[in-house]
Amino acid sequence: MTGKTEINARQIGLFAAFILPVYKLVETPSVLARYAKGDLLLPALLHFILQAGVLCLILLFVAKGKTCLYDRISPKIKKPLFAFFALVYLLIAILPVLDLEKFTYAVFYDTPPTLFSFAFFFIFTAFVCVKELRSVGRAADLSLFLFLVPFLALLVMSVTEADFTNLLPLFEYEFGHTVSAFKNTTAHFTDVLLLLPLLGNLQYKKGDAKKILGGYGLGAFFTLLFLAVFYGIFSSVAEREHYAFAKIAQYFPPLASIGRIDLIFVYILCIVLFFFTALPLFYATLFSTEIFGKNKRLLCAILINIGAFLFTLFFNKNYDFFYRFLGNTLWFVFLAALIPVCFLCRKEKQ
Amino acid sequence: MDTLQKNLELNIKTVKKKLPSEDILTFFFTTADGVPCALVYADGIVNKELLGTLIIRPLSALYLKNAGGRGATSEVAIQISARFPELKKVQKYSEAVQEVLDGNTLLLVDGLAVGFIAGAKFLPVRAITEPPTDIAVKGPREGFIEDIKTNMSLIRKRLKSPELRFETLRVGKRSDTMVSICWLESTSNATVKEEIKKRIEAIDVDVIPDSSYISALMTERKHSVFRTVGTTEKPDVFTAKIAEGRVGILVDGSPIALTLPYLLTEDFQSSEDYFVSPFMASVFRALRFVSLFVAILLPAFYVSAELFKMQLLPLGLMLTIASSVREIPLSPSLEMFVVLLLLEVLKEASIRMPKYVGMSLSVVGALVLGETAVSAGFLSTPAIIIVAFSGICLYTVPNFVETGSILRWLFLLVGGSLGPFGIVLLSAFLLFYLFSTESFSVPILAPFSPLSSRDLRDSVVKYDMESLDKRPSLFHSPNRTRLKKSRR
Repeated sequence: MTGKTEINARQIGLFAAFILPVYKLVETPSVLARYAKGDLLLPALLHFILQAGVLCLILLFVAKGKTCLYDRISPKIKKPLFAFFALVYLLIAILPVLDLEKFTYAVFYDTPPTLFSFAFFFIFTAFVCVKELRSVGRAADLSLFLFLVPFLALLVMSVTEADFTNLLPLFEYEFGHTVSAFKNTTAHFTDVLLLLPLLGNLQYKKGDAKKILGGYGLGAFFTLLFLAVFYGIFSSVAEREHYAFAKIAQYFPPLASIGRIDLIFVYILCIVLFFFTALPLFYATLFSTEIFGKNKRLLCAILINIGAFLFTLFFNKNYDFFYRFLGNTLWFVFLAALIPVCFLCRKEKQ
Repeated sequence: MDTLQKNLELNIKTVKKKLPSEDILTFFFTTADGVPCALVYADGIVNKELLGTLIIRPLSALYLKNAGGRGATSEVAIQISARFPELKKVQKYSEAVQEVLDGNTLLLVDGLAVGFIAGAKFLPVRAITEPPTDIAVKGPREGFIEDIKTNMSLIRKRLKSPELRFETLRVGKRSDTMVSICWLESTSNATVKEEIKKRIEAIDVDVIPDSSYISALMTERKHSVFRTVGTTEKPDVFTAKIAEGRVGILVDGSPIALTLPYLLTEDFQSSEDYFVSPFMASVFRALRFVSLFVAILLPAFYVSAELFKMQLLPLGLMLTIASSVREIPLSPSLEMFVVLLLLEVLKEASIRMPKYVGMSLSVVGALVLGETAVSAGFLSTPAIIIVAFSGICLYTVPNFVETGSILRWLFLLVGGSLGPFGIVLLSAFLLFYLFSTESFSVPILAPFSPLSSRDLRDSVVKYDMESLDKRPSLFHSPNRTRLKKSRR
């Protein structure tokens, strides 16, 4: 991979803590509330435990070798594997892009503009795609401020309006609801898959696992805290409250007289959301470059982003179809994160 | 042949051939025993009184032919007799010519195949004053001037250390400008210094009128809106940066010194921050950060709120704005564009105009244009207030004015056409651009990205002096300790 030794454990930890949770603050709360009602924390917790387990296994594999993960892949299987991963990331990119498109029209505009307004987002993603992995690491560093400040500000504004008794009693609903919520939000919890290219380029040092797992734990805590406040405020209508983080602070009393200043914080958080949404496309470009050659980076980036734009242009009304398609039919895509774990088992057998 | 000859006439002829300009003068005189001598110098930049007292008078009294008899050679005799502290020997015409062009004086003696260079340079220099771009209420007020030697002395005055080094290079095929690299041996990163030297040596240009030429020619991203070279006009700031582990560059003819590597946070730091309490310094810095964001984003947000997202404004304010823009014939974006253009034109004109016209210009600009445009219903009051406030805010960070001004236009453009989405998207775009921008291998967004927690102590927040005991890790200084904590 191109980004060898360009990323360190601190940056991966910050990535897990401050970039990964942001997508889960958009649609995930309302979907979880739809299926699990007041028990919405449980499926989320299950997801985090499962993802953390896979992450631990991958970290174990990363820690075992002296070189970084991608350098250990034999040249024979490198190309087909990278082609597979390029495809996986293209599939993973679908939902965040479609979600962001709808989110943009709802949060940034009083009257939805033409679809071409959103086209500019793909100029940004194309620009991100031609950058090195190092830039993603630096984005993670800065996201500490870009995420934490607005997130805490929004929580402070909203927590006074939250009634946490809405979450009680725990396990009020049948476990089937939790399972159903878990199943239907698989596409929202792609954490390990998004961490994989970063972990693949990590030159492991002692103590790195702690930083990464610590960061992931912090990210999970932020998400669970947000979900609790969200349900505390919206309760039974929570399932209808899409784009949660843009709405959570709107009932803060002073906003009536000073205007929606919470939107300023929402917009700052959106910068991190833009970083997140651009990531799968970036990874797809990164893996494509490994197949077609490093000098084709720009071409790969342009083609992938034009493809993504055309896809959004023609299929933006088929969100539900793609959601079901990825969740029910292509769910195994999200198991791609287990590939390095398979390598681990194979190696141990040998 | 480039070597000086024993024949004085031939030497003078050759030098005059190489320097045919009218301002290159020759003064002939003889020693007491009649040996012909000559001084060659550039008129106007040499202290003639000094030449008369320290060279011509003692040599006129010297019996040069007898010098050999007293056990000394003629060369030594001249060096002893001329009471000049700086008397250098040259043997080549090219060297001699270069020295004359530098403002030094060439002494030629018949019968000697060498020339003597007397450093009687007398260049007209400006007095050391407080730089207009970097005024401090507290702290030193000295500023650099155009003379490189004076600037070097101002630095030496503050850093009386044998580790302070200057390495002078010549840049410019026609101007042959002195460019001096300055660093502290034990604290500066040698790799950065070597890289700077390499890049300066690679510059192939006719003339270097100012340090900005060096800055522009040595940066990696030549078309970037963001600069990657730090500048200062104050010797105290320059020495502080050198002591932090940076490398400095002085250019003859320029009062602006360059410092490398450069970090974006430097623009938010003022020399005064280090002379007031850390609490006040932090407040001022935070104020500068906020002011800069207001300066760049306020016009764009105002326009996008009016056009795309009314919710951004409180209801009362929205009604006031609505009533004042009702009669305006221009769209909010065009109106803001006109007012901003007016501000930029006024700013540009007030800088270039003579001072006595400047006063009437501000009256015309502020009162006549502003007042009349509002009362005529051509522009609205909120637009003028917003642009005026944005203009003032931008000047809280003087080094960022040019970049900030361009960014303000860009944000206005996207805010007016795409609304808040465009503003956020452009912010994300600029941030990603900055992530990959480096100044001599140091990311300019540091210490925020890459995160360096210790270096954050002197960023938006400024810690007390004792907490700043280590040099910034980003510069990879070989000696990181700059302060030993007192045990109290």
